[in-house]
Amino acid sequence: MTEPTETTDPNYDGAFDAIVVGAGLAGSAAAITMAREGLDVIAIERGSSPGAKNVFGGVLYTPTLRELVDVDDAPLERYVAEKRFSMLTPEDETAVSMRPGAWHEEPHNDSYTVLRGEFDEWLAEQAVEDGTVLVTETTVTDLLRDERGTIVGVDTDRPNGELRAPIVVLAEGANSLVTERADLKETADRSDVAVAVKEVLEFPDTEGAIEQRFRLTDEAGVSYHYFGEGAVGDAFGGGFLYTNEDTVSVGIAYRISDAVDRQPKPEETLNAFKSHPAVAPLVRNGRTVEYTAKTIPEGGPDAIPDLVHDGAVVVGDAAGLVLNNGVHLEGTNMAIESGYHAGRAVAEAIEAGRVDAAALSSYPEHLEGSFVVRNLERYGWLMERAIEDRDLLFADLPRAIADAGEEYFRIDRDPKAVHAENAKERVLETVGGWTGAAKLAWRYRKVVS
Amino acid sequence: MSAQPSVPDVDNATLEDRLYTVKYEDPGDSHLDVKVPGFCAERCDTDDCIDVCPAGVWQQTDDGVPQIAYENCLECGSCRFACPLNNVVWEYPENGAGVTYRHG
Repeated sequence: MTEPTETTDPNYDGAFDAIVVGAGLAGSAAAITMAREGLDVIAIERGSSPGAKNVFGGVLYTPTLRELVDVDDAPLERYVAEKRFSMLTPEDETAVSMRPGAWHEEPHNDSYTVLRGEFDEWLAEQAVEDGTVLVTETTVTDLLRDERGTIVGVDTDRPNGELRAPIVVLAEGANSLVTERADLKETADRSDVAVAVKEVLEFPDTEGAIEQRFRLTDEAGVSYHYFGEGAVGDAFGGGFLYTNEDTVSVGIAYRISDAVDRQPKPEETLNAFKSHPAVAPLVRNGRTVEYTAKTIPEGGPDAIPDLVHDGAVVVGDAAGLVLNNGVHLEGTNMAIESGYHAGRAVAEAIEAGRVDAAALSSYPEHLEGSFVVRNLERYGWLMERAIEDRDLLFADLPRAIADAGEEYFRIDRDPKAVHAENAKERVLETVGGWTGAAKLAWRYRKVVS
Repeated sequence: MSAQPSVPDVDNATLEDRLYTVKYEDPGDSHLDVKVPGFCAERCDTDDCIDVCPAGVWQQTDDGVPQIAYENCLECGSCRFACPLNNVVWEYPENGAGVTYRHG
C-alpha cells in the first residue's frame, strides 16, 4: 500500500485544489473523480488506514463503481446469488426467496458482499494511483472560513495542522461532527437515525459451513433480511445475514428512538436474533472475529442537508444518503454516486475559477436527477406509514401469516377447502377483512410497483 | 422423533470478548464526556446513553452522572443522537487512536 505521507509538511497548506475529509467510499469516489479531472487532491483520514473506522452490513451495489475503477480487481467477498426476505415472529419464519439464474452470470446484478476494512483501503489506493495524496491518522477538527464566511480549508489535530484549499469535500460519515460544528447540517433527530451492531463470524470447526448452510458453490453468496418481532422485537428495524468469502456477517439495525425505550441493549437484541429458531442453525458454532457498531442516517429525502456551500460540498452518509424501505437497503452505492457527482461539480467550479455554492450547484442537480434522490423521494412516504402501522407490520401480520401458513398446510382428515378458508380468515381478521386488506394493499402499493 | 423442535444453542460471546475482537489504541484521554454533569444528575431519568450504547461505554453510577468507559467505544456515535438533553460531548479520537476495524 501507499505510505501515508507526513502531514507536518508546511508545503501542503495551499498546495491542493480540494481537501477530502474522510477516505471512505464517498470520499474516495470524489477523490478519484477530481484527480482524473486534473485537480490536486488531498484526502485526510482519521483512521490508521482507510476503512479502519468504517463498517456496513453489507452488500455493495457496483454500477457507478464500475464506471470509476476496475471492479474485477476489487476485494469483493461473494456475489449475491440469493435474496431472501423473512418475517419472524418469536417462534416462526415466513420467507420469500429469490435465486434468479441470471445472478450467477457476470456482472452478477452488480451486487457483492464486501468487508469495508479491506475494500475501503483498496478504493483509496485507486485514488492514490490517480494522484491523490492520502494522509492517515489525521483528524479534521474544524473548518476554516474567510472573513466572508467562505470555507477555505480545514484544521487538523497535527501540529500547525491548518490546511487551506479552495474546496473541502465533507465525507466524514454518519457521525458528522465537523459538518455539524460548522453549522452545515443539524444533528439528526434520534428517530431518524438507526443504531446497528454486527458480528463477523467464522466457522473453524465446521468445514464447508457457509456453502452447506446457505446452499452455495464457488463465489455465490446470500443476502438475507429479517423483519418482525423475532428480529428486533417491536423496534423499527430488522436483522440481516450476509455471506462473505470465509465469514458470515450477522447484525441488526433499528431506530435509536426505539433503542432507548423499547428494546434491550443492542448486543442483547443481537443475541436474541441470533438465537431465533430460524437464524440459530445458520450461525451456530460461529466464532466472533469482530464486533462492530455504526449509526445509519435514515431520515429520507427530508433529512438531506444543503449539499453545497461556499467552498464545500457534503457527500455520503454525512449527507444522509441512505435508502431503507424494507426491501431495498442501500447506502454505499449512493455514497459513491454522490462522491462522483460532487467531484465533477468541484472540477467544473475550479475550472471556472469559482468556489461559491452556486458554482457547485451541478452536484445537487445531478444527484437529484440520479437514482440517489429519485429513490429516496420515491420511498420517503414509506417510513412514516410503516411507523404508524408498526404493530400491524412487525407483530400482528407476521403472526397471522405464520398461523395462516400453518393452517393452510395442516394435515388432518378435513378437506383442504376447510384449511384454506381458515387460513384466509386468519389473515383477514388481522387486516380488517377484505376492505382492510384492500386498504393495506393500496397504502403500500408503491413498495414494489 | 422428539416432540420439541431442536433449536441449536448459539454461544454468544460476552460483551467483553466481543470488544476484545476489535483492535484498539488508547488515545490517553477520553474522547467522550458530558457537557453539564448536573443535567445527568438532576434532569435525566431515562439513561438513554446507557440503553443505546452497543459497547457498554456509559455506565450507571450512584450520583446519576454516568461513568464513561471510553476505551470500550466503537465510535458509532449513537449516544450523541440518543441523549434527549444534547448533553454528550463527542470528539473523534485523535492521531489515529481509538478503534481499528480489520473487517468492518
